[in-house]
Amino acid sequence: MATSILDHSSPQAAPGAHSIIRTADLWKIYEMGDQQVAALRGVTVDIARNEYVAIMGPSGSGKSTLMNLIGCLDSPSRGQYWLNGQLVSAMDDDQLAHIRNHEIGFVFQTFNLLARASALHNVELPLIYAGVPPAERAARALEALQKVDLEPRKDHKPNELSGGQRQRVAIARALVNRPSIILADEPTGNLDSTTSNEIMGLLDRLWEQGNTIVLVTHEHDISEYAHRVIYIRDGKVDRDHLTARGERVLAAKPAATP
Amino acid sequence: MNLKESILVALETLRSHKLRSFLTLLGVIVSVCTLVAVVSLVQGMNQYVSDKIGHLGSNTFLLSQFSIEDHTDQERFMEARKRNKEIRLEDLQYLQEAASLPEQLAASMGHAPIEVKGGTRSLEDVNLAGVTANTLRVAAFEVGQGRYFTPTDEQHRSNVAFVGPDVTRELFPGTDPVGKSINVDGRDYTIVGVATALGNVFGQSQDNFVQVPLATFRKMYGTEGSLQINVLARSVTLLPVTEDEIRMLMRAHRHLHYNDKDTFGIISSDTVMQLWNNLTGAIAAVMVGVSAVFLVVGGIVIMNIMLAAVSERTREIGIRKALGARRKDVLWQFLIESAVISTVGGLLGILVAFIFTLVAGALTPIPFSMPITAVIVAVLVSTIVGLFFGIYPASKAAKLDPIVALRAEA
Repeated sequence: MATSILDHSSPQAAPGAHSIIRTADLWKIYEMGDQQVAALRGVTVDIARNEYVAIMGPSGSGKSTLMNLIGCLDSPSRGQYWLNGQLVSAMDDDQLAHIRNHEIGFVFQTFNLLARASALHNVELPLIYAGVPPAERAARALEALQKVDLEPRKDHKPNELSGGQRQRVAIARALVNRPSIILADEPTGNLDSTTSNEIMGLLDRLWEQGNTIVLVTHEHDISEYAHRVIYIRDGKVDRDHLTARGERVLAAKPAATP
Repeated sequence: MNLKESILVALETLRSHKLRSFLTLLGVIVSVCTLVAVVSLVQGMNQYVSDKIGHLGSNTFLLSQFSIEDHTDQERFMEARKRNKEIRLEDLQYLQEAASLPEQLAASMGHAPIEVKGGTRSLEDVNLAGVTANTLRVAAFEVGQGRYFTPTDEQHRSNVAFVGPDVTRELFPGTDPVGKSINVDGRDYTIVGVATALGNVFGQSQDNFVQVPLATFRKMYGTEGSLQINVLARSVTLLPVTEDEIRMLMRAHRHLHYNDKDTFGIISSDTVMQLWNNLTGAIAAVMVGVSAVFLVVGGIVIMNIMLAAVSERTREIGIRKALGARRKDVLWQFLIESAVISTVGGLLGILVAFIFTLVAGALTPIPFSMPITAVIVAVLVSTIVGLFFGIYPASKAAKLDPIVALRAEA
């Protein structure tokens, strides 16, 4: 099993004490008629706070299934998953919804903004479900839009924004509830390379600000932005290693202090 | 979840698909409109009738050959005709002696509508009646000009007439009618007085009459036929006992056994209103039934459109779920949306009904009033219909798997 690049050398506490994401032997089995298809066959990963991890793998590898589990959109058939110290693998639908709302900021390939709502309202959406009062909601959404430099566009509808701008709105929405992880699923899949670089630069900045980022991609170039890559193949972790950037970041980091 | 958010989404949906929304709402609009309009109509007619029947006087009732109930169907009327006897002058005289409670007993005898001539003009279809001199005490009108009959007119069987304002207006326009002569059925009468105007009831003028003293009438037309006796009680509270006394006396006078039916009719404004209310109640019940059917149809249309909305907006549901919406958040969003759509339909229906009552009120003499309770009930009912028929689509939306929903075509 891979060690976290930011492992602190403090005394070992309960499992997952330093991990933001920790899975133990995750299985996902789908029933296809009378056949059982195992999409995941025992995945164990550990991702620490403020890591920048890319999950890669060919289609059919179970990469998407893993992402759905990490994103708390689905429950595993077997195994445990702790997110920010909470055992989410045992949770019901509504508890998962609560976790998605508070712990996860999604960034999707297709942006997934509400077409009829303004940028500001789209960013407010997670706060509505978190029960944040309207005045605070608007203020926090505006702040999130400022972080992605889109405050002047707050009243624009998605169809009045470029692809890159839409994705920035989606990133603002992902940030607004101060989640434990940002889960970006092919965030540049629908963008040209210039815009892709912009978006990846933005994710870099978010990482620098202390966010934990999990990037799901099949593009090698994009995965190079991350510091660590987990390859999934046939429903298992195939390889788990640092990228060139990850090595540099580790080298640049002062020796771990208690 | 957020009520305001759901309502805004619902209104936005209505606004962005105007024609579709209108068609969706048509069922609810028609149903609520029918409901409110019928209630307003019935209320207005009841008001109108009670106003007009109130003219009968709240402390008078009528003793006549037949009761109101006798007229309710053919069979009963045939029975009553066999059983009931005419009210004779002799009955009146008996009651005048024996009854202690009535303040007045005023008798009248009617004639079929008849032509009245006066000066160089004539008027058709005038109601002719012979009346006792105290009829003024129980009548709805008052003396406008001249005087009413005196007991002397009665004793002398004078050829005098008291007429309604329609008659003088037609026959003697612009001149003082008192003292003028009119001719009815070949006989001349001198006008001694003119009544104040009463106006119309259901388009029938109440001012189109000629009254002559009862004795004069009987001399001219014979003593056959039933009298009607208007009984004036001393007060409203004494009305029931006065009614009882008259009934007891009439039964005794006619030697009726205790389980025989009355051979006469007693008609009070209460019994008239009761009959009327039964009638309008039946109309209202039918229309409420009809509007209930519309409402169910309207509800099914709303359910259909909400199912379409759920499948159209599967992606939206997926996004909301991914961002933390719980099942009940999604459920309420669609329930509220459905209720809002239906309520908007209800409000539009009330608006249409309101316009209808304004127009109908302007075109007819009936004072249409839209009872606030009907409006509240209509709004509530339309909201409840929306909620009820929204349950299935909303629970379908709430049960969507976020992963599947996110993959849906946008």
